[in-house]
Amino acid sequence: MKTTIKFICNDRVISTNIHPAVSLLDFIRKQEHLTGTKEGCREGDCGACTVLLGELKGNEVIYKNVNSCLLPIGDVAGKHVVTIEGLNSDVLSPIQESFISETATQCGFCTPGFIVSLTSFVLNTNHFTFDSAVESIAGNICRCTGHISIKRAVSKMLTFIDPVFNGNRIEDLINKNFLPKYFLEIPVKLKGLSSETYEGKAVNSPEFVISGGTDLFVQKWEELIKTEVSFIPPSGDKEKIRVSGNFVIIKANTTITEFKESEIINKHFPALNEKLKLFGSLPIRNRATLGGNIINASPIGDMVNILLALDTKMYFIKDNGVRELPLNKFYLAYKTLDKQKDEILDEISIPIPAEDCLFNYEKVSKRTYLDIASVNSSILLAVHNGIINKINISAGGIAPVPKLLAQTGEFLLFKKISTDNVSEAIKIAMQEINPISDARGSADYKKLLLKQLIIAHFVTLFPDFVSIEELV
Amino acid sequence: MTRKLIKSVINIENKEHEFIGEVSLLEQETWGKNDTLKIIGKEISRIDAVDKISGTASYTSDINLPGQLYGKFLRSPYPSAKILKIDLSKANALKGVKHILTYENTAKYKWYYETSFLLDPIVRYEGDEVAFVAAESEEIAEEALKLISIEYAKLPFVVDTEKASTEKNIKVHNWGNIVEPSEYKRGNIETGFADADFTIEDEFRTSVVLHNPTEPHCSVVNWDNDELVIYDSTQAVYQIRELAANALGIEQEKVRVIKKYMGGGFGSKLDLGKYTIAAAIVSRELKKPVKVVMDRKEQNLCVGNRPDSIQKFKVGIKKEGLLTALQLNSMGTVGAFPEGAGLSWPAKTMYKCPNLLVNEKSILTNAGAARAFRAPGHVQGIFGLESLMDECAAKLNMNPLEFRLKNYTEVDPVSNQPYTSKKLKEAYKKAADLIGWEDWKAAGSSKSVNRIGLGMASQIWWGGGGPPAHANIKLDKKGNITIYSGTQDLGTGTYTFIAMVASEVLQIPIERFNVVIGDTKLCPYAPVSGGSMTAPSVSPAVRDAAERLKEKLMDTAAILFDEEKNSIKYSNGFCVNSDGSKKVSLSEIAGHLNEQDLLIKGSRNENPKGYAINTFGAQFAKVEVDTLTGKVTVLKISASYDIGRVLNKLTLDNQIRGGIIMGLGYALMEERIIDENFGKVLTTNLHTYKIPTMMDIPEIVIEIASDYDPMISNTGVKGVGEPAIIPTAAAIANAVNNALGVRIKSLPITPDKVLIALYVSK
Ligand SMILES: Cc1cc2nc3c(=O)[nH]c(=O)nc-3n(C[C@H](O)[C@H](O)[C@H](O)COP(=O)(O)OP(=O)(O)OC[C@H]3O[C@@H](n4cnc5c(N)ncnc54)[C@H](O)[C@@H]3O)c2cc1C
Ligand code: FES
Ligand code: FES
Repeated sequence: MKTTIKFICNDRVISTNIHPAVSLLDFIRKQEHLTGTKEGCREGDCGACTVLLGELKGNEVIYKNVNSCLLPIGDVAGKHVVTIEGLNSDVLSPIQESFISETATQCGFCTPGFIVSLTSFVLNTNHFTFDSAVESIAGNICRCTGHISIKRAVSKMLTFIDPVFNGNRIEDLINKNFLPKYFLEIPVKLKGLSSETYEGKAVNSPEFVISGGTDLFVQKWEELIKTEVSFIPPSGDKEKIRVSGNFVIIKANTTITEFKESEIINKHFPALNEKLKLFGSLPIRNRATLGGNIINASPIGDMVNILLALDTKMYFIKDNGVRELPLNKFYLAYKTLDKQKDEILDEISIPIPAEDCLFNYEKVSKRTYLDIASVNSSILLAVHNGIINKINISAGGIAPVPKLLAQTGEFLLFKKISTDNVSEAIKIAMQEINPISDARGSADYKKLLLKQLIIAHFVTLFPDFVSIEELV
Repeated sequence: MTRKLIKSVINIENKEHEFIGEVSLLEQETWGKNDTLKIIGKEISRIDAVDKISGTASYTSDINLPGQLYGKFLRSPYPSAKILKIDLSKANALKGVKHILTYENTAKYKWYYETSFLLDPIVRYEGDEVAFVAAESEEIAEEALKLISIEYAKLPFVVDTEKASTEKNIKVHNWGNIVEPSEYKRGNIETGFADADFTIEDEFRTSVVLHNPTEPHCSVVNWDNDELVIYDSTQAVYQIRELAANALGIEQEKVRVIKKYMGGGFGSKLDLGKYTIAAAIVSRELKKPVKVVMDRKEQNLCVGNRPDSIQKFKVGIKKEGLLTALQLNSMGTVGAFPEGAGLSWPAKTMYKCPNLLVNEKSILTNAGAARAFRAPGHVQGIFGLESLMDECAAKLNMNPLEFRLKNYTEVDPVSNQPYTSKKLKEAYKKAADLIGWEDWKAAGSSKSVNRIGLGMASQIWWGGGGPPAHANIKLDKKGNITIYSGTQDLGTGTYTFIAMVASEVLQIPIERFNVVIGDTKLCPYAPVSGGSMTAPSVSPAVRDAAERLKEKLMDTAAILFDEEKNSIKYSNGFCVNSDGSKKVSLSEIAGHLNEQDLLIKGSRNENPKGYAINTFGAQFAKVEVDTLTGKVTVLKISASYDIGRVLNKLTLDNQIRGGIIMGLGYALMEERIIDENFGKVLTTNLHTYKIPTMMDIPEIVIEIASDYDPMISNTGVKGVGEPAIIPTAAAIANAVNNALGVRIKSLPITPDKVLIALYVSK
């Protein structure tokens, strides 16, 4: 078993025998003294620690912006890490130029994170629009500038980009000074590394299985570095999402970004792409996995909430055996799961909804973006001649577990879409839930909010059939 | 004589301070309007930008000294307890642990205005310091904290402000829970109410909020023989020097405080940290540098906050809109140690109101102590007052702006002194035009699901700055110019404006200036960077120094040319003789002078006597409220200010926008939440304590209403850092009320409050 972790940091190959669950942030700041990457929160909430993580796919390296505070160094093995120092060269990049001319830096503590995230944007995006550029930095918080000068810098930066890249984007970006020249050598160097480095999977029954790490590193990082860990890294094999018969099959280590951008998902669930902007921030979505969201079992998990409404089934593996379980049978009590410790969630499957199926998702939180829901809810339903002939409504934040509102659904099945029926359904829903008061709101508020979200589902999907004035 | 000593009183962060200080007597006329100037007022990018965008800027948390130890505090898990027993044996046995301080082995360093100690056997809030570990690495220090065993006797606690104010049995300190209640009277409140056609009583509340600058508080300390060197993430190098020297009982001259770049402060870095002194004690003992960096949880528990407030108002108004009487009873919690939660300055000074009665109380609770937070008092006070003014206008069916103009004052109502300048009327007009105020309709006019509302609020603050504040300017033989001042750049642009002011005077490019600030050993005294006083205090000192240097250069040229001094002309870094035949550059003159460096001191002048110096402004907000989900989206904010002269349009706009967005956070999402059953803070990270992100940002338009203040200084600059945040929450709250026809009277206006106000309280 190889225990040496080898990776490229900026233009240097690094070899280390440090514990694989040490965060990349600690490693680069404390061991490598690359202090341009800042520590602001250690919990993925500020973006001061953002770095680029590049992974070899074929002959290309694909870069993403990630929070180095939540990134286990074991998962960096064989990859390319780029810190702000690794973006500097003799000339300033157009992103840096734009930050200077628009004074998009004040105290400057947040600035490297912004520059790195925007570099990831120019490396990845196919939408060179202002909005998608801004979305790429929605996980970077600035307490000084009020973000407006940063937005201006973004507009300015966009003027330096010719959205049509001829052939090799990295080469083009080097020519335009967005990247230093050494980026060209990285694919070859990474290939050389891949046979020599730690792989992270070999441990038998480890104390912790780390996927994206975005929950584990917030909840247990001190424990992680004291025990054996193994990885189900969210690396991007091509076939993570596939269609098989009437089902979409998804690997548990699929990231929210991969799910959100997947052609298959966008074809069958077109409403999701936009809604998933409400999940964390881009760097979180680049690491957070579906499997992690399901196993973490937060009552307000967003993916869980959506998947519950979509009739998801889970496939666990253990000692070569496979076990199938519907997602709505999985949560027994608060953070108590129908799962043995060493069972690994391998895949999930979602039935492809019929053509006439409609889906909606609602989430309300204190802060609209980069926040956990106070209450969230998904609905999947099919209506034939005004009659509901299939319905699932899920709700989060209103019980110790993520919940399918079974009785509410049952009541509405085979009923007409009407103000009266929705109104009656809301009454039933109120009986099905038992929220508690916490920092996200009082129990009464959460009840009221779920009511509002159910109204929002019907007002959004059937504006002509229900009266919002009567419902509220 | 070109200097003299004076006594000066100045208001910093809502507290009066008296100084004796040297001021400049050179009569430099204030510059004319900015369009007559070459550099000042222009959009100049900051001179420290390259360091910041390349990640090479070194912050205190990036400093590592050879052989340094890492310090960490063990903090109380309980809101109130007495330490019965401390067992350090396991922690001391851990390899790499070098020293542990507890109250048992540490001298009684007085803290919190002598109400407690650096390490106190009584802990009064969750997060209170219990022990300090120094170890070879941060990880070992953290491990050691877990190995310390403490036996506590839990004591009863109180965390609710109102409850603490009447609580007889649970006392945060044995002398009680109320800090210095204060009263202010003007005119006769009874006659005022008797004169009124209407009276309105109302109550407004705000929450405790936390500074949360992006860089945590941190210090790296080292003893260089008997000199203590402190690298600190601070807004106040000289103040830290004084406080640290006092705490340790050593001479100020033996302390050097250094701060180059810092990741924000907003008031929370004005004070000396316990971590700094604990580190200094260990460092002295072990003769090694010690570094301490707070984590985000400590940031949210232990380094200050803005007090909450409960503001009870009664106001009397005439039918035609004049205020006849205003009564305010307010209280707010300052946490576990004495601080001020006063918020009445806006009520006392914003409007002409002849009869006033104010009673204020600061309440102790078992929570982290308050600390100045960007416009302390005013942010809470303006929210209450300006919400109330809107209610008055509504009562009279009057446009809120018209109501405010009716009560406009041309003199400071407390001192009866005229202002050095007041352009609030102009600011109202500009900001109103920018938002489209002509579309304003009475509250609740819209019945749709998504409702639009317009609201406004006014602002007053000090911000005139004052002496003592000094700057040294040094010209070396190669013609390099360095400016030294003991001020600091919090990210606000101090480096840049110092170079700009000198460049304006000496007419050479700003790249030629090297600016050294934030070092008590190299730089002459300048005040703390708080109270919006950096630019108004320091810019005149820099100009004074640069003008004096120019004089000296011309004197020297006169000798070189053998001509009368007044025939010499200075232009663009050259001195030219009367007929233009001889020309000598600044560096040539430096070369001729038989001094290795030419060092000249400049100072801030005295403020004019008999005048009130204030900043003024107004913000208008346009919001959209989704009545289905309770979400408030701010669409646009317009802002206009009288802040004297604009030094740099780019950094000024940034400061204002930054203040507005912080105000938006205060209005809509920021609040410290404490679980009353356990006395524990639930919002100890940025996951639970929400601050605005990229996605919450409205359009912001800014126009400045002032050219310059003609009286206060040779630059005519007033401060803007704090004025920027003051009116935002009130303007947003007024806009939400305008949208809904229902007023949310407590901040933050979260979706739950909106929904409950719309559907439950009806
Ligand atoms: C800043 C921030 C914002 C966030 N925002 C949101 C949000 O908006 N909505 C939301 O729902 N969540 C949010 N999260 C939570 C988190 O990102 C998600 O729950 C994420 O999906 C977890 O996935 P992961 O791969 O990172 O999990 P990990 O942390 O790697 O793992 C979580 C748990 O699942 C287990 N596990 C993971 N994969 C498997 C597997 N295949 N088989 C068995 N066990 C497994 C792990 O052992 C661990 O116990 C946020 C988190 C952060 C830090
Ligand atoms: S340090 Fe804040 S996101 Fe990583
Ligand atoms: S510039 Fe200070 S946090 Fe962004």
